[in-house]
Amino acid sequence: MSDTATKDQKTTPAVEMVSLTIDGRPISVKKGATVLDACRQENIPVPTFCWHPKLRSVGACRMCYVEIEKFPKLMVSCATEAMNDMVVLTDSEKCREGRKAIIEFILLDHPLDCPTCDKGGECDLQDNAFEYGLSDDTRFAFRKARKIRDKNSTFDDLQIGPEMVRNQNRCILCYKCVRANEEAFGEYDIGAYQRGHNTEIDAAPGGQVASLYSGNLVEICPVGALTSSDWRYKIRVWNTQTVPSIDPYHADGANLTLWKDATKVHRATSRMNDDTDDGWISDIARYGYQIATSERRIKAPLVNKNGAMVEVSWEEALGVISRRFKEVKESQGAPCLAGVVSPNLDLKTLHAFNKLFRGALGSNNVDYRSDYSNLPTDADSTYGFMASRSFSIDAVASSDVIFVVGSNLIREHPNVHLKTRRAIFEKLSWLYTANPIVTKSADCSTDEMIYNLGTDEVFLNGVTLSLIQQGLADKEVDTGKIETLLIPNTLEKCAETCGVSVERINECAKRLANSKSPTLIAGELVSNSIARENIAKSFYNVALLLGIVQGKRGQAAVLAKAANSKGAEALGLFPEISATQTATLKNQFQSFPELAGANWDAMLSGAQGEDIKAMLIFGANPVQTGADYNHIKKSLESLDFLVVADLKETPTTALADVVLPLSSFAEYDGSFTNLEGRTQDFCAGMKRIGASLPGYEALNRIAQSLGFSLYADLSSLQDEVSELLDSYNAPERKHFLMESHFQAPPAPQENSLPLFAGDALHHFGHWTEMCHSLLEFNPEAALEISADLASRLDIQTGDSVRVLCDRGDKGNKGEKLILKALVSDILEGDTLLASHNFAAKPVNCFTSRDSRVSYVRIEKIEKQ
Amino acid sequence: MSDNKTQTQPIPGLPHVKSPGAPQVKTRILNAESVAEIQKKMARYPVRKSAVLPALTVAYRQVGYLNDEIYAELAAITEIPKLQLAEAATFYTMFPKKPRGKHLIMVCDNISCALCGADNLLRYLEQKLEIKVGETTKDNLFTLQIAECLAGCSAAPMMQVNHEYHENLTREKVDALIDGWRKEG
Amino acid sequence: MAEHKLLLAHTDDPQHKTVAGYVANGGYRAWRKVLTSMTRDEVITEVKASGLRGRGGAGFPTGLKWSFVPKDSPKPRYLVCNADESEPGTCKDRVLLECDPQAVIEGMAIAAFSIGSHLAFNYIRGEFDYPIEVFEKAVEDAYDNGHLGKNIYGTGYDLDVVTHTGGGAYICGEETALLQSLAGHRGMSQMKPPFPAVEGLYGCPTVVNNVETLAVVPHLINNGGEWYKTFGTEKSAGTKLFSLTGHINSPGNYELEMGTSLRYLIEEMGGGIPEGRKIKAIIPGGASCPFMTADQIDTPLDYEAIADAGSMLGSGACIILDERTDIVWATYKLIKFFKHESCGKCTPCREGTKWLTQLVERILNGEGEESDIDKIDNICHNILGRTICPLGDAAAMPVISVIQRFRQDFVDRIKAKDVLPMEQFSFN
Ligand SMILES: Cc1cc2nc3c(=O)[nH]c(=O)nc-3n(C[C@H](O)[C@H](O)[C@H](O)COP(=O)(O)O)c2cc1C
Ligand code: SF4
Ligand code: FES
Repeated sequence: MSDTATKDQKTTPAVEMVSLTIDGRPISVKKGATVLDACRQENIPVPTFCWHPKLRSVGACRMCYVEIEKFPKLMVSCATEAMNDMVVLTDSEKCREGRKAIIEFILLDHPLDCPTCDKGGECDLQDNAFEYGLSDDTRFAFRKARKIRDKNSTFDDLQIGPEMVRNQNRCILCYKCVRANEEAFGEYDIGAYQRGHNTEIDAAPGGQVASLYSGNLVEICPVGALTSSDWRYKIRVWNTQTVPSIDPYHADGANLTLWKDATKVHRATSRMNDDTDDGWISDIARYGYQIATSERRIKAPLVNKNGAMVEVSWEEALGVISRRFKEVKESQGAPCLAGVVSPNLDLKTLHAFNKLFRGALGSNNVDYRSDYSNLPTDADSTYGFMASRSFSIDAVASSDVIFVVGSNLIREHPNVHLKTRRAIFEKLSWLYTANPIVTKSADCSTDEMIYNLGTDEVFLNGVTLSLIQQGLADKEVDTGKIETLLIPNTLEKCAETCGVSVERINECAKRLANSKSPTLIAGELVSNSIARENIAKSFYNVALLLGIVQGKRGQAAVLAKAANSKGAEALGLFPEISATQTATLKNQFQSFPELAGANWDAMLSGAQGEDIKAMLIFGANPVQTGADYNHIKKSLESLDFLVVADLKETPTTALADVVLPLSSFAEYDGSFTNLEGRTQDFCAGMKRIGASLPGYEALNRIAQSLGFSLYADLSSLQDEVSELLDSYNAPERKHFLMESHFQAPPAPQENSLPLFAGDALHHFGHWTEMCHSLLEFNPEAALEISADLASRLDIQTGDSVRVLCDRGDKGNKGEKLILKALVSDILEGDTLLASHNFAAKPVNCFTSRDSRVSYVRIEKIEKQ
Repeated sequence: MSDNKTQTQPIPGLPHVKSPGAPQVKTRILNAESVAEIQKKMARYPVRKSAVLPALTVAYRQVGYLNDEIYAELAAITEIPKLQLAEAATFYTMFPKKPRGKHLIMVCDNISCALCGADNLLRYLEQKLEIKVGETTKDNLFTLQIAECLAGCSAAPMMQVNHEYHENLTREKVDALIDGWRKEG
Repeated sequence: MAEHKLLLAHTDDPQHKTVAGYVANGGYRAWRKVLTSMTRDEVITEVKASGLRGRGGAGFPTGLKWSFVPKDSPKPRYLVCNADESEPGTCKDRVLLECDPQAVIEGMAIAAFSIGSHLAFNYIRGEFDYPIEVFEKAVEDAYDNGHLGKNIYGTGYDLDVVTHTGGGAYICGEETALLQSLAGHRGMSQMKPPFPAVEGLYGCPTVVNNVETLAVVPHLINNGGEWYKTFGTEKSAGTKLFSLTGHINSPGNYELEMGTSLRYLIEEMGGGIPEGRKIKAIIPGGASCPFMTADQIDTPLDYEAIADAGSMLGSGACIILDERTDIVWATYKLIKFFKHESCGKCTPCREGTKWLTQLVERILNGEGEESDIDKIDNICHNILGRTICPLGDAAAMPVISVIQRFRQDFVDRIKAKDVLPMEQFSFN
């Protein structure tokens, strides 16, 4: 079977090299490289249209001709493998003549509308025509227009996606968009219709180009055939400058370029980095810069005066903050102060936050995990251990077996998702997905295992038991007492409980055990679960039995979610930090509190009791995105004093006494540590909006108003950050199987449907609501529902649906919201997904802090 | 026909395909026989996507043409993205994309047939049916179209009407055929 | 050298389509012999010895092609019979499918065995309703009689044959496009390498052969490769089907020994030109081959001689244009076909065929200029050898030859400045 095929690819010995001569220069390249690769390696210019570094060469445009000795014809360098002793000419008479003919052919039908074309200035056709094109007379005598199917839509621009405009006349049919969509993204929403000269590019029948990666298609279009409605006619490209930046949302750390002029940022594009992104970025990363320029930004500090929020100066706001913080600290003690920070803020801000609380205010109550509940309180939690495993995004692309559990991968990690697809398409790797819901990855999974809701660890225990039973477990692990460690403790019982058959579990286990470089990924469905620790233990067991934790092969991790979650972990922005971290921090801060801190859960209950009195929430918006709206709201309302810093007004700022305006990532220099632990810098692209300040500066001013200084200059702050990152060591532990006992969640009531609250496809957290382009994709909170359920309930996309909380006698019973239905072509079964990205619809009113699965009832609202 | 072994081997460039199974789909346009036939044909290929052409063929034979709604039904039956069905359908010329007359007359006008009078045959049909190439008669009986070579060259001129070849055409033969169909109604 | 009926020996026998009739005429002996007494290598050696060259157009040695399939590949392999016959002027494969389907099946089976394939496809063009029906029935019949299926003849060898029907695209006759189409994609040509024999259908080793090529195979096995070599010429062995069309008294498919002269085909088999008219031009191998002139009528019909005469044997479709034919009009008929059939992937073919069509059409409409002739020639040279697949060449070559050999016709036509009617020839 193909296992051998995959093995062959893996065991290629040291790289073989090939030597050839290009334009008289001796050149040596890796075997398998194309002549074009060789030219590019040596910076020898060769024009291309249809070639893309991350797509298979198809040799369609024929622009990249070179002359090769002994070959009678001109050869397309993008699809000709470099061979030993080849003699290549890239600029001979014959090449130039061949390329000129291609330009002539292309221009035959291409409108010469450069003045009104938005691609002007960055158009491959313009550049190549200038360099290689016609010198004098034109030989064309015919009308420049393609014939297009639908005559009415022909020559004008046609909106084919929420952010995409097509002009078919300009299309040179390089097929890059269609190829990228299929090869790299696995999406099927743009295609080529008709054939030959009449070929046209269009969205799927009756659909729109609206995948998460749609912006990339515009970016790789070599001409102005696909343009983005966001960027069109805003500014000519030669009037912009670029600065490097980083995806400020996802933990993948995709690299961006921001395009700016003197006043503001106008767009974001990719900046190819093979380690993280291969040059593909999600639309969220692409249009997410719009948080900088949004109308909804808060531009000045706000103070609650007699129930109304009033704009004030920083001095006045800081005066209130210092007075009240001092009051609380003096009357009730420093441990009554608590701080919550968003992991989407940069490293300097995170560190300054830590320093303010621990160093200046003397409270260990800091946390960055306000999206989660039931957090571990033990410094040595297995969850923490699995979440801090080292992980390489690029290694996913060369993994031979990928195993994803409890993750809606495309929504959590758009770039890791693409790397898994690359592994499948390029390496013929095997992908096993195990989730309680169907995800996009299912369409390329070898097996997509849907386990019963709330049985995550049972499924994993099944894999553990299967590995042991089949004799595939790492021999050095003691598997003797396995029956006493797990509940349920037989493979059959596990299979029955989780609803995935023994055969499928066995098959998956076998494939994992035979793998050379497995990648095991656990995601938000694990992190978000109240049984997180138990699931992590089961996950750990599987990784242990495969020898991954011991470092024998592959990688396994619970992936961090936000752009800087990993940074927050390394900087110690939570109470249960390790001894080494404590030591480094003690060294950096003049003083360090003795008393152990409260984590986010404890802060909330502390606020409802007498323990926490004042809180600073920085960039986070737990009222909207945390579990259990009412519980969090009630807790924050019980505080004596609440300060919230954010970019925009949120349900959390609505409860604040003082609101501070933060600058967005596009307005200052900073860095994020991505899920691999890779720290990457981003640069300011524009001036700060209004009176907003970058987090670290705002924090320093708070500190100053309290009589402290967090840093003398930014470099000293940066040095402390670097020291912490350098000294950070992921926890280690002895290798033995862990106990994982499953407790069945209570059965739902009749007619209740399980609901997950999380990110919509085109949103992340609470900020992207400010991005008008992303609102074009997902304009409002939606209730995603499977086609099957929709047809049973006679619900169609766009129908209004009343959602009612169904949680027995506890908590939020009776909560209701009206959401727009979105019939999903991916989901199956009865599970519902609700987007938590919209302040107007706090769907977390349905989620709970003490049950594994949230249930609701839904009713269609009949139109009047 | 016996079933093929389903291929468990991954194929480069294609997602690993799970066994196609027989999804229960509700169709409005395609009838049960068509659905069954598509499913039967699909089972003959090691890779599901190969069923694109057979599926389009079965659908167009039943309906007479293809459109977005039919692609959607085929997508549900075959689990092949609707996009790819539409892309393929428009690439090939055999599938009309609009309703057409009861008898679709395709006249080959390539070199061998043209040398034997195919263009005159076309003009003759235009006169007789009182339509131009590409049009359908008012009574919806005939649609006249040009075809590229149909491999009937040694019996030129020729035409294909619906699924049948009519070769070595003469005026008398054409008259007899058309009049016969007109009588049939 | 003259007519010799090997493939067309039983076209008049309706029973020959059935397994029973075919076996009565000596059918399936070869398949049984291969399965029971030959190894894969022996089959390939025999085919190599016969000197059989592909009848699909390119004339590539068949045995050699089979031997390119990697022996140690863990992937499944596939055999594909190319019955997409759509080259204007060609109608020979249709006859085989209709009259001798069992021979095609037997040939496919032997070829499949020789490359270790257990699944063979016959890609038949979708318009061939009747041939498809006949072939599918023949396959059914072969299964029922144990010539296909599981454990054939008790030897443990399994083979399935699947009929796949096209959707109307000439380009799907090109092997890489055919395999794309068979895999469910749009039928667009692919760059080679990788060659199908290494990475073909679904990325697995695949051999594509023409119907006629495969139909010859059982004869080679029965009588030996050396025997086949006794027909034809040194480098072009055996017999070949020729489709004779156009201005000819008896158009049809004729089987001649390779090397028989064109004159023999036209005069003896085709009964000459109607009403004793003179020949103006001959296209010897289908619409994609350069034109030959009347004085080349004594050229032998084999790959080398026709190439020496400046054309190609192609699929053996001989189209006769008599003295009444307007060459500009004929050029238009050819080029508009290629424009219509270009897959649209590579620039020179997609744009070039359109531009050529526009230019020739302009001349037809009496609006041409003399400079157009060189422009046409130059455009053809910008297409020739610059495309992914040979369709571009196929469009350019005949036009280049026309300009070379019938330039004066173009000049006259342009000077005359009158509109050339499409209806040049009437039917009866
Ligand atoms: C544009 C084009 C069209 C072709 N059409 C056909 C065809 O209709 N039938 C065929 O057998 N070969 C056709 N061929 C040749 C095939 O690509 C291929 O060479 C042939 O099927 C191989 O079979 P053979 O080796 O038996 O000749 C075509 C080639 C080109 C470039
Ligand atoms: S030569 Fe024509 S048919 Fe062949 S790949 Fe190029 S565009 Fe397609
Ligand atoms: S870049 Fe090489 S053919 Fe297009």
